[in-house]
Amino acid sequence: MESTTIEKIVEVDKHIGCAVSGLMADSRTMIDRARVECQNHWFVYNESMSVESCAQATIAIQFGDSDDDGAAMSRPFGVAILFAGIDEKGPQLYHMDPSGTFVEFDAKAIGSGSEGAQQSLQEMYHRSMTLSEATTAALTILKQVMEEKLNSSNVEVMTMTPTNFFHMFTKEQVEEALKLVAIQEQSKGDLRSIVSTAEVMSIK
Amino acid sequence: MASVANPSFPDYSTQAPTQHMFSPYADNGGSVVAIAGDDFVIIGADTRLSAGFSIYTREQNKLFRLSDNTVLGCAGCWCDTLTLTRILKARMQMYEQEHNKTMSTTAAAQMLSTMLYYKRFFPYYISNILVGLDNEGKGCVYSYDPIGHCERASYRAGGSAGALLQPLLDNQIGLKNMQNVTNKTVTLDRALAVVKDVFISAAERDIYTGDKIMIIIITKNGIKEDSFDLRKD
Repeated sequence: MESTTIEKIVEVDKHIGCAVSGLMADSRTMIDRARVECQNHWFVYNESMSVESCAQATIAIQFGDSDDDGAAMSRPFGVAILFAGIDEKGPQLYHMDPSGTFVEFDAKAIGSGSEGAQQSLQEMYHRSMTLSEATTAALTILKQVMEEKLNSSNVEVMTMTPTNFFHMFTKEQVEEALKLVAIQEQSKGDLRSIVSTAEVMSIK
Repeated sequence: MASVANPSFPDYSTQAPTQHMFSPYADNGGSVVAIAGDDFVIIGADTRLSAGFSIYTREQNKLFRLSDNTVLGCAGCWCDTLTLTRILKARMQMYEQEHNKTMSTTAAAQMLSTMLYYKRFFPYYISNILVGLDNEGKGCVYSYDPIGHCERASYRAGGSAGALLQPLLDNQIGLKNMQNVTNKTVTLDRALAVVKDVFISAAERDIYTGDKIMIIIITKNGIKEDSFDLRKD
């Protein structure tokens, strides 16, 4: 299988990225909607959409609120989504479950290994983490909960920062980050990092 | 093509083509002037509402507060102004409820542009000037044509005396065609004095402008309202 065809972290706008888990087909529809809503907001108001508004607009699709998408919903979308973005309130992380409920988080794990991962996040996370510490923490946790061995073709890493906004790690950068994880595991150093990075990781 | 068939005079009817007219617009006059400074913006509009040689009212406010730091001035077709400002008010409230924040002046400026363009082929016949403080707290003035072209400026005159007053502002505020002037930023006192002066001039030459002006001054401390009498003939 061509591993690059599976894409669980996607760009919605320059300042908003999403990590999804669940029914990928359903997530496509929702990401499409999120992208359209962001562009429409920019078109009408000449400003970037806030992360919360983007999440709200995305879930609205479930209830068939727009005329062109048909009326009633047949079934809920089978996806959990993490919205990670930068808006006027700073770095923001939202988690949305299949019911459409969305809640703000400092750190959040979704998907098949989420229970264990969330537990580890709770232990590792603190508010003054640096970006690289958060990246290492997220990958360390991912490594613990994944069945496969972690490598540069089965993991995606995205960072959302006030300076660079959406940045998807290249294969080389992922390898670099994985190296840091291995080194750190040996030295058992302490972890620190910036708000919403740990969540924008997903198992591929 | 002259209209020769008149239903009141069937004897005079001919086979010639008849022209039918549809004129949905009225020009109710009025002028708006706005000047922005580093930390304030001032907008004034006369209060005369007229149609041709008759005056509907001498005290029609043409300034609309969209938020605590955004004000819109409208001149032109009054019925269009009523509709546009009602829709704007609704859109401001919808934005507030959807996004949990008040719309910024820059956002309102872009929204107004798109709203006007959406009626590209049956436009609101209004000369709009939108003022407020931008995200940095600086005064800003946005002027529009009826189909949504939007331009940010530091001063602007619009409405029936717009063409009369703009060159005056160019000279007095923009310091155009002046020699030996240092480019100083305009103060609030100076801006207020110029707004009053230009309206006095407009009332002298433009029959659609007069009676009184309403003035709104926006600073970081909020909105202040003022008024000033013009000639009433």
